[in-house]
Amino acid sequence: MINEILVYVGEALVLIGVFCDIAASIGMLRFPNFYTRMHAATVGTIGGAVVPLIGVALMALGCDWLGTYRFFLAGASIVAGILIMLLAPVGTHVLALAAHRAGLAPKKPLVFDHLEEERARRND
Amino acid sequence: MKKSEICVIISIVIFIFSLAYITSLGGLGYLPPVDVRKLAQIYLASTYNPYQPTNTSSGYESVTAIIWDFRGLDTFFETAVFYGAIIASVAIYRGVEISSKKKSIGMSPIAKTVTRLSLILIPIVAASIAFHGHLTPGGGFQAGSVATVVIVLSIMVFGLRRLVQKGVTKPKILLLRSLGLIGIGLTAIGLVLAGLVIGVNAYIFQNQAKAMAEISYPMWIDDVLFGGSLLFFNIFEFVAVMAGFTLVLMLFSIEEEEVKKVIK
Repeated sequence: MINEILVYVGEALVLIGVFCDIAASIGMLRFPNFYTRMHAATVGTIGGAVVPLIGVALMALGCDWLGTYRFFLAGASIVAGILIMLLAPVGTHVLALAAHRAGLAPKKPLVFDHLEEERARRND
Repeated sequence: MKKSEICVIISIVIFIFSLAYITSLGGLGYLPPVDVRKLAQIYLASTYNPYQPTNTSSGYESVTAIIWDFRGLDTFFETAVFYGAIIASVAIYRGVEISSKKKSIGMSPIAKTVTRLSLILIPIVAASIAFHGHLTPGGGFQAGSVATVVIVLSIMVFGLRRLVQKGVTKPKILLLRSLGLIGIGLTAIGLVLAGLVIGVNAYIFQNQAKAMAEISYPMWIDDVLFGGSLLFFNIFEFVAVMAGFTLVLMLFSIEEEEVKKVIK
């Protein structure tokens, strides 16, 4: 019973990941500028990679026929998921900061640029 | 849609289908049988064979056994060539000092914090690749390349000067690099030296006992498969490759103005 629940929850998480990946790829193509496209890419890494990895871990834990190997699979997936969750946002942060500092990415359409104000205040 | 976009889509589809077709074809003309071939059988039978102690190389991993046992001399020559290339780059950059007086800038605090975390994780992965080289895929060169990521990250995130302030200086890395190569050399002639002392026959690059030379590196220590000379070779190669790549990366990331002061 508990095994079946684990497998179904895991499959649901993988499905969420598929949806996030599709949404991210549409966003990558349709969004207007660099920063919004980067937002779509992050949806792809967190929603489309971390969530399915946790789903895979749950599915592996639910599969009795894998024997002890299910713990290896689950552990590796969870560790990989945590690492991606730590590292991917930093990569995005560094890219966005560098693009903003270099002024290479056009900031259009723009509603509010807090970083620009912060930098202007710091330079005063 | 623009014409160029349509061209890109069509070329991607053609590329994927032709790749799939070539992969399913396997080759042109007569294809050899898919079962295990004679040469592979020889390698598999002699990589780990406790029943024939004179015909084994004491590790489970065939690739490491081939690289450091069956063709050990060749790999030693490769390492020596790599060492020569590093020495050549150091010679070109002779006299160029990395000034550690100026303050390094580095990236934002967010990047620095997470990099500090991954700077602990990467050496663990590298060490596991090096110490498991005779059991699982991996080995010294791969582990050294993984460990070099630490230096790349440190130079990019904290800055080269910070690295030098922390004590990672050119002479120290050169010393580490030389220690790695000396270790490889000593492991290669270790049994010959031991044979001279005891007074028995031995060969260079000998791992396990042979018919005419009965001394060997330890294959098992307690119930852990030690791997004989393979483990030593992997560890020393790990040190040598890591130090070599570190040195070249540090030299390449010195500012052009600093280099131009010396090399005109």
